[in-house]
Amino acid sequence: MKTRAECVVIGGGVIGTAIAYYLARAGLTDCVVLESSYLASGATGRCGGGIRQQWSTEANTKLAIESVKAFRGLEEELERDIEFLQGGYLVLAYTDDDVEQFEKNVTLQRGLGLDVETLSPSEITSRVVPHLNTDGVRMATYCADDASANPFLTTQAYADAARRLGVEIELFTPVRRILTEGGRVTGVETSRGTISAPIVVNAAGSHSIPLARTAGVELPIAPYRREILVTEPLERFFHPMIISFSFGIYFRQVKHGAVIGGFGDPDEPPGFNETSSLGFLTTMSRKLAHLMPRLRSVKIVRQWAGLYDITPDAQPILGEVDEVGGFFQANGFSGHGFMIAPKVAMLVAQDVRGETPDLDIERLHPRRFAGGKITQDRSVV
Amino acid sequence: MRISEHPILDFDRGREIEFEFDGKRLVGFEGETIAAALHAAEVRVLRRSIKLDRPRGFFCAIGRCSSCLMTVDDVPNVMTCVTPLRAGMKVETQSGKGTIAPEGARLATGDAASEAIPSAVPLAIVGAGPAGLSAAIYAGRLGVESVVIDENDVPGGQLIKQTHMFFGSLDHYARVRGIDIGERLVQDLESCPARLLTGTTVLGLYDDGDAKALSLLKDGQHARLRARAVILATGASENVLAFENCDLPGVYGAGAVQTLMNVYGVAPGERVLMVGAGNIGLIVSYQLLQAGVRVEAVIDAMDEIGGYHVHAAKIRRMGVPILTSHTILRADGETRVESATIARVDERWAPVPGSERTLDVDTVCLAVGLTPNCELALMAGADGVYVAELGGHVARHDRDLETNVPGVFIAGDASGIEEASTAMLEGRLAGLAAAERLVPDADANALASLRQEAEDGLGELRAGPFGERPRFGKNRMFDLVNDTKDERRGS
Repeated sequence: MKTRAECVVIGGGVIGTAIAYYLARAGLTDCVVLESSYLASGATGRCGGGIRQQWSTEANTKLAIESVKAFRGLEEELERDIEFLQGGYLVLAYTDDDVEQFEKNVTLQRGLGLDVETLSPSEITSRVVPHLNTDGVRMATYCADDASANPFLTTQAYADAARRLGVEIELFTPVRRILTEGGRVTGVETSRGTISAPIVVNAAGSHSIPLARTAGVELPIAPYRREILVTEPLERFFHPMIISFSFGIYFRQVKHGAVIGGFGDPDEPPGFNETSSLGFLTTMSRKLAHLMPRLRSVKIVRQWAGLYDITPDAQPILGEVDEVGGFFQANGFSGHGFMIAPKVAMLVAQDVRGETPDLDIERLHPRRFAGGKITQDRSVV
Repeated sequence: MRISEHPILDFDRGREIEFEFDGKRLVGFEGETIAAALHAAEVRVLRRSIKLDRPRGFFCAIGRCSSCLMTVDDVPNVMTCVTPLRAGMKVETQSGKGTIAPEGARLATGDAASEAIPSAVPLAIVGAGPAGLSAAIYAGRLGVESVVIDENDVPGGQLIKQTHMFFGSLDHYARVRGIDIGERLVQDLESCPARLLTGTTVLGLYDDGDAKALSLLKDGQHARLRARAVILATGASENVLAFENCDLPGVYGAGAVQTLMNVYGVAPGERVLMVGAGNIGLIVSYQLLQAGVRVEAVIDAMDEIGGYHVHAAKIRRMGVPILTSHTILRADGETRVESATIARVDERWAPVPGSERTLDVDTVCLAVGLTPNCELALMAGADGVYVAELGGHVARHDRDLETNVPGVFIAGDASGIEEASTAMLEGRLAGLAAAERLVPDADANALASLRQEAEDGLGELRAGPFGERPRFGKNRMFDLVNDTKDERRGS
């Protein structure tokens, strides 16, 4: 392991490996990625792999559109299949509030050039998902360009591409402390020794919170358990990711044929709990069987949990903190880090190298929480 | 081919029933699995593999390997090696991943209402094999109520396939056949405050406040069982061996061969190559001979026989060659094994050119070791520790068989590969330890003497050259646990 580097990235998830890759692509190859376990072992590898562009704020929608563009060229650029599929996202509305919000969303999204349509319940089953139970569904929005990809393959692809450019990735190497001196970061102390570096990027998901604290930085992030399950593989029988904010669900059929999905329990207390619960298994099974009765005969083969790193406005925290020079944050993704990873990582890499990011990330700077008013995106599952 | 005469076993077959296979009418017996009925009807190919469209039959026959998935009553991916055959079933060879069943399709099951599942019990035991049954009996001796859950319809675990007499200095069971030991354990259980839930699969093990919750599946219905302590006696899965065409129908695990012939009275084939000259390979070879099946050879890559020499001598006397320092290179055949090629290996395990021989066999039986089933323990939060001498990853556990998750115990092959006699003793120990936890005013003297008896028994069984491997493995595990305990104390 190196003892000195130009940049240390903490976290071998999709965010950390992608930032390392874009830094190296721009010439900053003296970079080390530190991962406490294996690649994508945290939130990345536990996520559903959806890539959605249908958001309710202009900034988020723009970022998501740029991310899909980045994803589209990724397999060629990284020379690896990441199971990228533009199978669409079907967003179901059940309430008056849903309908009202969705109509606003569609106007905003179309204004930004997104090809999104509204569907009646009968159009949903005749055109998009034949087996869906639309009882209680008022309408849906559907964007056929929304997508999905395999989070493990994507992370592995970024890691391999970064390595080819000279980045070193150290697995099973937890960081114990961020080292600072005179208001600047000087490196990190790991389980295998110290690495000196003038730049440290904290991309450790929920574990970013205790790490930042070792440098005296308090991040306004809270970890929340989110559970998910996967079924046996079957020949493809539907394409889009199906989600509903009010019914509380997201699920899709992955390339290998399994149906993967989950929901966020609004009563889940904050904490680093990553165990699976029987309550989730039961409720999720019921939700799936309700929305798609044919899933009743399908066997669930696995369930697991991961952590959402949720910020007060459900937006990521990006940028160099004011208190400690050279200490950058790329965390607080609040459950949608994977889908915006390619674009966000490009922007963070530009920021780290002192360039002006080609999309505004100032609004996502940690100092936004110091007093000012925050805007919440309502399209969060 | 069905076995009609057997020196030890009487096959008490159920009612003859008709079912449909790929549009043809076939006949099987009530009480047997779909896969056993198909095998008896000479059907070998049960599915086609997803990616390469290769023919697949079953391999493990105990619901572990997923090689036997078929479409039954329009429901895809049914594990036919453990699914009971029912009259009128529509069974189809499955290609690829399987198509989602039409709405309302449901696999025929037994009557769920026939047996109510309790919602809470002091002690839940997963697995009704030698370890699980012993655990229930010994916890029961101290008055602990338990529920013993097993996914098979018949309790006894792998004992129900063992026609040979057991060794060991255990006065209770030496010179008793495995099948009879299983029956005795089930009888002993009857005088205990224990309930046996067969045909019930444990899907998961969860935290439930200060207790554990088990999610159960019986006859297509889910149930939830809360338990203050859990003993996992889930046994092991058979290892596979990589060689050319090792996935051809007709390449079976030794346990699968035993299941077929000793439980369902179906001969696996006519001419068998046995791979592995450990105790399982030798014993199953003898059982094959008993069932009237020819064993062409027993081979083992090791330069000496791994099992008891008395077993080896028995099959040698019956004319079966045991070829040490030999390996299998490949199996051949279009949709089922038609021959197998073996070769001698040098001291570096490399095949010696020119030593290849092709044997005219229709079955290759693999007896190349087992891997502990410790998934439920890991799900409950136990640490997985790799101990090669115990068969791979095992849940961290102490001398009381308690894992690092308080109240979750693991016993028998699930805690490290040994054999049925040690599994029974480990089950006793786990049962006693759980009882001590659950009954604070238990008779300490009785407990201590029962525990000592079990520990002495284990010590004896693990003494000597054949017990060296597990003894070494278990000691490594206990040293590890003591180290962490010391660390915790120190910090």
